[in-house]
Amino acid sequence: MTASHRIYLDHSATTPVDPRVAAAMARALTENYGNPSSVHGFGQQARAAVDRARREVAALIGAKPNEIVFTSGGTEANNLAIRGLCEAAADYGRHIVTSAIEHPSVRGVCDALEKRGWEITRLPVYDNGIVRLEDVNAAIRPDTVLVTLMWANNEIGTIQPIREVGDLIRERRGAQGGQRHLWFHTDAVQAAGRLSLNVDEVGCDLLSMSAHKLYAPKGIGALYVRRGVRLAVQNVGGHQERERRAGTENVPAIVAFGEAAKLAREEMYERVAHDSALRDRFESRVKQLIGDVVMNGDREHRLSHLSNISFRFIEGEGLLINLDLEGVAVSTGSACSSGTLEPSPVIRALGVSDEVARGSIRFSFGKDNTEADVDYVVDVLSRAVERLRALSPLSVAGH
Amino acid sequence: MVYSSKFKDHLAHPRNAGELPDANAVGDQQNPVCGDRLRLSLIVKNDRIETARYLAYGCPPTLVCGSVLTELVSGKTIREARKITKTEVLDAVGGLPSRKHHAAALAVETLNTALDNGAKT
Repeated sequence: MTASHRIYLDHSATTPVDPRVAAAMARALTENYGNPSSVHGFGQQARAAVDRARREVAALIGAKPNEIVFTSGGTEANNLAIRGLCEAAADYGRHIVTSAIEHPSVRGVCDALEKRGWEITRLPVYDNGIVRLEDVNAAIRPDTVLVTLMWANNEIGTIQPIREVGDLIRERRGAQGGQRHLWFHTDAVQAAGRLSLNVDEVGCDLLSMSAHKLYAPKGIGALYVRRGVRLAVQNVGGHQERERRAGTENVPAIVAFGEAAKLAREEMYERVAHDSALRDRFESRVKQLIGDVVMNGDREHRLSHLSNISFRFIEGEGLLINLDLEGVAVSTGSACSSGTLEPSPVIRALGVSDEVARGSIRFSFGKDNTEADVDYVVDVLSRAVERLRALSPLSVAGH
Repeated sequence: MVYSSKFKDHLAHPRNAGELPDANAVGDQQNPVCGDRLRLSLIVKNDRIETARYLAYGCPPTLVCGSVLTELVSGKTIREARKITKTEVLDAVGGLPSRKHHAAALAVETLNTALDNGAKT
């Protein structure tokens, strides 16, 4: 990269590793090399480090440590949750309720189950990017075994009514002749560390997390499994993770996740305040300087670090590369391959036109960004938008 | 996807962007599948392309192929311009992955449409 600036505004894709997390991980790499399953002292030292991390990760979501299953990341956690629950519960029914804006890892598992004869109800989200509680209620059938809804969306940051859905599911279970075989999973990969989560308050049975969204390295995540919830094990051949996920634990990554979870819990409020101040500054400047923009997703119920904006008359990827040339990293859901238009399914689910969907860009802020970063980005952004609009036949025709 | 430096240069500094009020050969083409659009405006004098301008909407390869096309055609005779192929456009942008080749095809189609329209006037 030749640009004089390097500004990372893609924290929803992944975050830089916090130096304190890296230091904890480095110590684990060199000092805790024992196998946690070994009976000797080296093994027990590694076991103790894993247990400490498990307590921190559990504390981030108000769970008990033995309800945490470490996985290779959010995708594996979602696979284990949905596939594991559905395979174990298939005798009670074969219907899943989910939404139209889930992460590909949830969407993919649901699609795969559908091919095997499961029925999937994909709830709409309307123009604000939020699922309606009455739709969830109407979609639950006697043969529904799983409701899986993301806590917060990865592209537009909208926060789903998880607590209300949890209450609804508790009601449906507890009613006269209630539906005892109904479980609730939430993909909290974007929400963990950014919102205050408590599994008992929302009453979910399964919750997915990923460490690299909270300043820890990639390759480690976790699934919360409420005590008593049965899963068909997907990784077999070992007794690790209380028989729920075989394979020697990735000790250094688990230690890093534990440290990151502790820091996220301790610093959550200052991080949220910091990120939302930058995000608001960014959005108000964009509105001031750049016309014909569409702010995607609900304005109120959304994550504090994320802004998804469609720039009319231009396509997202061209803007992304123009920003990259100026050292600014953002992302777009828009992708054109094999001559087929594939705008983001999430933005399309908001009911906007193809053109608005194609012009969407996600800016996601993080704890190391500064006000000067925001001002620089707005400056290069407004020039790049102007340059691309000068090229656009849509813009020239309309003005 | 990793684009060539030539590609990025055209994207950041588009050549010959815009329209020509006194153009005598104009072509518009749209990729019916992905919706990408290209407009080429030419001033042809004495059978030779004197000036070329373009407008484009769509993925970066479409924007860049438009920019490159205006450079390729400028100064060429109609006969020479008609011979421009998709491969030449691809070479001029520093290559594209096969799934983006449609952008170069759109550029050549737009050029031929402009030349056809110019011949009618």
